[in-house]
Amino acid sequence: MLDLLNRRFLFVGGKGGVGKTTIAAALASMGAEQGKSCLIVSTDPAHSLGDIFSRPIGSREMPLAANLVGLEIDPETETNRFIDAVKRNMRRLVRPELYREIDRQMELARDAPGAAEAALLERVAELMAEGLDRYDLVVFDTAPTGHTLRLLSLPEVMAAWSDGMLAHHERSRHFASLLAKLGARKPNGDELASIDHEPERRSGDSASQIRALLLARRRKFHRARRLLLDDTLSAFLLVLIPERLPILESRKALRMLRRFDIPVAAMVINRLLPRDVEGEFFNRRREQEAEYLREIEHTFAAIRRYRIPLLERDIHDFASVCRISRLLADELRRSSGLP
Amino acid sequence: MTHKKRQHASPAGGFRRAVQQLETAAEEYYRAPYRGAIARAKRDEDDLFMLFVFAEMLGIPNPAAYFTLELQPLLLERFHDWHRRMGMEHSPLDHFRCC
Repeated sequence: MLDLLNRRFLFVGGKGGVGKTTIAAALASMGAEQGKSCLIVSTDPAHSLGDIFSRPIGSREMPLAANLVGLEIDPETETNRFIDAVKRNMRRLVRPELYREIDRQMELARDAPGAAEAALLERVAELMAEGLDRYDLVVFDTAPTGHTLRLLSLPEVMAAWSDGMLAHHERSRHFASLLAKLGARKPNGDELASIDHEPERRSGDSASQIRALLLARRRKFHRARRLLLDDTLSAFLLVLIPERLPILESRKALRMLRRFDIPVAAMVINRLLPRDVEGEFFNRRREQEAEYLREIEHTFAAIRRYRIPLLERDIHDFASVCRISRLLADELRRSSGLP
Repeated sequence: MTHKKRQHASPAGGFRRAVQQLETAAEEYYRAPYRGAIARAKRDEDDLFMLFVFAEMLGIPNPAAYFTLELQPLLLERFHDWHRRMGMEHSPLDHFRCC
């Protein structure tokens, strides 16, 4: 069991409605109970973390219990924060007549497709970097599979993007240094006037700012990716229930995760029917469940699996989270062969 | 060329200046084409970079649009130079006017 909780980042994913938030909360409280300082982060724009702890959480870190802090990333807040910073930057650089143009431009960007996703990635990357210093364990309660896979693949994609941008920028810098070696005289040809004329001094300055920005971006993306792919630090847990669609989706998810080299540590099979319920209806359900369980054992034979039973009540507060957490702890202990 | 300078240092300052001018002119004669070519290569590289940053605005979908936003303020100047160079008095983009 320890090897799972000894990781620094746990990502809990799966199809919508299978109990990701519950399992994430259970893992975080298990860590907190062991005295680790834990942060649980919801990356699903439709947050349910607050609902499970029966209290509002929001986009600031909120203490939930001893050693346990919660946070719901709000892509809109993050986008606004980013855009406002860009706006301030722009205002510094352009004439006041253009302020309105800039505002208009930035409003469009705020609602552009991909903005919320990028803002989310930015925050997750930040939290991973900070989390390493500030928490023993960060559990990410992720959005349904599709979103999350995309989010987890973004560091790679964006790292490649920033590499490419930097390569172009470096090439330009290289040419500039060659030019400087050849003498700083202005060329006589008018067609090149724009390069060596007065703006040059300023654009030389902005070139180094561009470089600094790109380098910072690149560092952030590469770092997030490195942390994500390090299976001593990060693990992905797939939650599913023994039903057809979640099994199919988990299979797809696994394929995608492999493609991006993201290590999958375990699967949690949630909401198993209890053994001691009698009746024709339940017997039939259990028969179906047994079939699906066999399918799961067969399909995901290589992955460690933990089982959590269906409880008689919803998970609605910290006490019920702790109950799941104890059940999960038993499972972890059992499968690792410890007493 | 340093020993040349030393040789003609004392006799006539005028002659020395003339030699220097000749040297500069010769250097310029050889360097100018290189400088032109490199300046052009740099400009093309910069234009391409700018295209990446402003792609979304030009109607080219860019998955990294969000992250190019922060670069745009730094490229305003270059963008202005570019559209002037392309023979457009004012910014060709309705929603992005630098002048």
